[in-house]
Amino acid sequence: MENIETFYEVMRRQGITRRSFMKYCSLTAAALGLGPSFVPKIAHAMETKPRTPVIWVHGLECTCCSESFIRSAHPLAKDVVLSMISLDYDDTLMAAAGHQAEAALEETIEKYKGNYILAVEGNPPLNEDGMYCIVGGKPFVDQLHHAAKHAKAVISWGACASYGCVQAAKPNPTRATPVHKVITDKPIIKVPGCPPIAEVMTGVITYMLTFDKMPELDRQGRPQMFYSQRIHDKCYRRPHFDAGQFVEEWDDENAKKGYCLYKMGCKGPTTYNACSTVRWNEGVSFPIQSGHGCIGCSEDGFWDQGSFYDRVTDLTQFGVEANADKVGLGAAGVVGAGVAAHAAISALKSAQKKTQSKKEEA
Amino acid sequence: MTEGKLIVGPFNRVEGDLEIKLDVADGAVTSAHVNSPLYRGFEQMLLGKDPRDALTITPRICGICSISQSAAAARALADAAGAKPTPQGEIATAILHGVENISDHLTHFNLFFMPDFARPVYEGRSWHSRAIRRFTAIEGSAIRQSVEARAKLLHIVGLLGGKWPHTLAIQPGGVTRAPTETEKIRIEVTLRAFRRYLEDVLFDAKLEDFVALQSPSALAEWSSGDAGLFMEVAADLDLATMGTGSGRYLSFGAYPSQAGPAFAQGLWINGARQPLDTNAIAEDLSHAWMLGSAAHPAKGQTLPDEEMNDPAYSWCKAPRLAGQTIETGAFARQVVDGHPLAIALAKQGNGVLARVAGRLLELALTQIQLEQWAAALNPDARFMDTVTIPTNGIGEGLVEAARGALGHWIKIEDGRIAGYQIIAPTTWNFSPRDAHGIPGPVEAALEGAPVLPGEDTPIAVQHIVRSFDPCMVCTVH
Repeated sequence: MENIETFYEVMRRQGITRRSFMKYCSLTAAALGLGPSFVPKIAHAMETKPRTPVIWVHGLECTCCSESFIRSAHPLAKDVVLSMISLDYDDTLMAAAGHQAEAALEETIEKYKGNYILAVEGNPPLNEDGMYCIVGGKPFVDQLHHAAKHAKAVISWGACASYGCVQAAKPNPTRATPVHKVITDKPIIKVPGCPPIAEVMTGVITYMLTFDKMPELDRQGRPQMFYSQRIHDKCYRRPHFDAGQFVEEWDDENAKKGYCLYKMGCKGPTTYNACSTVRWNEGVSFPIQSGHGCIGCSEDGFWDQGSFYDRVTDLTQFGVEANADKVGLGAAGVVGAGVAAHAAISALKSAQKKTQSKKEEA
Repeated sequence: MTEGKLIVGPFNRVEGDLEIKLDVADGAVTSAHVNSPLYRGFEQMLLGKDPRDALTITPRICGICSISQSAAAARALADAAGAKPTPQGEIATAILHGVENISDHLTHFNLFFMPDFARPVYEGRSWHSRAIRRFTAIEGSAIRQSVEARAKLLHIVGLLGGKWPHTLAIQPGGVTRAPTETEKIRIEVTLRAFRRYLEDVLFDAKLEDFVALQSPSALAEWSSGDAGLFMEVAADLDLATMGTGSGRYLSFGAYPSQAGPAFAQGLWINGARQPLDTNAIAEDLSHAWMLGSAAHPAKGQTLPDEEMNDPAYSWCKAPRLAGQTIETGAFARQVVDGHPLAIALAKQGNGVLARVAGRLLELALTQIQLEQWAAALNPDARFMDTVTIPTNGIGEGLVEAARGALGHWIKIEDGRIAGYQIIAPTTWNFSPRDAHGIPGPVEAALEGAPVLPGEDTPIAVQHIVRSFDPCMVCTVH
């Protein structure tokens, strides 16, 4: 295989300063939950390792993942796309068109055989032999199989690729099917969310480059470093939940005071994602901060769980001690031992506030 | 190739999938068939759901115009309930929506449209080296600047809407977030920074100067900023007469408020403004892989023809207004609103140049509007009223997305969605032929486009298609 530039060389060529390069490394270390001692490690990897070739394909989707990744991200995260990662084939951004674009895909597959990461945005619809999503005259599912064949690993960006998302909502007219049900012989990392947070997306890629391995995944295949806590666990409105202070109606006094949105249908208590810590649009805010409950978009099947404004009803763990213990164990079982300690703390907290919760239920 | 048939696609640098079949004779396109090859079935999925769920599901039709979809859904629900958002909720919605719309215009100009002028086919042109430096796909300096400016501008959506894309804050009664005094200031500061970007980079002049242009000749003399580079290219390649349209324009009216929309609602037909009657809209299915007959969207349904029978060739329905095709988009909006430059451009050549100039004009106009709306935010006022969605009813939600007129039509029975039809801007512009064989607006605009010897993806076709800024995921949904 021919010599591939390092990330740092590509960045230099793009005119990115050493200073912002180092800043990127420390931000990434922080996002990944690593200590300052990892900053030089990340920098070293960026300077010495060949950049990771990425083939990014689009199936049945809405492009919100690309949007999140490149356009509303931290400027440095954006640089990851525009300069550091070479998106050797991405049909939304690339310069070539038509047959040239198809040729570019083939060339990239050939050139980096066995060495590239296949990033999939969207998913293949399988009804009617895949006729609901045609790329270059062929069903997308064919392109997906073809591009996955020589990939080192597959990243399923977003809820569509990971789980199906709203386009798989009943009756799932096109039989939109998540990637892992079609590609079964490759390691797959699911980065769910609609869309996923930009920093989560770049963090996953940087981790793979730095440590030359896949990040630790939970049982659902999501990177633990970003999906091991519920939004509820780190929500800035959590004290109001614990105190039994809830928004009862849109824009009421309680809404102005920033009370908990649980009664407005917030799915934060059952959703594993980093929204309440990493936040959105360069750390500005996240849905709960905008006064609207979480809809649970990083969870499998979030689109078919009844109304988005229905109150979460399977929250027996909150307020009943016996169940709180079970939940602690359950959560640890689902996302792995790494969060067991945290789960235990959650359980303890739930036990503490049972009075309020009971009152709330009444 | 100057004779025969060509299939152009997949198109990159457009949102979603698009394929166009061209018949070519004597070095020019003689007919075009536009195929939207992606179908997901949102209108089918919405059936049987809680009407409020449309607020979460429809934005996910599209990751770049999600606020437009969300605003249309909120309007349709409010209409069904006979309710209106609070005045401050309307202002906050207008800010959210305006930010998304100009972000889209900025992306279109820098990332989707201009990179074509950096292609080798234009080697030797006086402007080519500058186009390469500024607009080479992914790497050009203008691209980096615009992506950064846009990301900063979208902080406003973060502040008011929690996240972008797929904001949840817009509701039938207003918005869920009442901004604080501090946030109001942050919004104003962010807008000042964006104005600086527009005035230093895109226009390299005061926005008010660009807005004051009245005639195509004054526009042609505009030479500063990236807008000036575009005008130089446009004059050299005669983009004014490339891909000319029907001259019929539609706008649903943008940014509604109690004083009326900021950009007017109406039609422009035969060189004059006319009122809009949405009852005259019908979606023709003769050339779409859809079963059923032509219908007004309030009565329409979506039943894909799995056999994909001829003569259909697209998943896209063909919306028509009083039986006619009609163009929609930023330029249409400005013509209907009566901007003198837009009207003058509409009267003489209304091709690629007019569509792109319409977007530039709107970038400047909307920025000025946004500054006024931000100043009018009153953190102490009510931003949302509780709206009770009726158990039975119908609603129509009309908004203007970046790419033009977007309508949602909802029917509620027994508290559930019994009908939901969406006509997106690109559905109008990229529609297939109708029962009378009349081609859709883009199909018509492509007729006559030059095809140079050896071209298999004709450059003129690329310019014309991108001048409409298609959003293919919205088109069929």
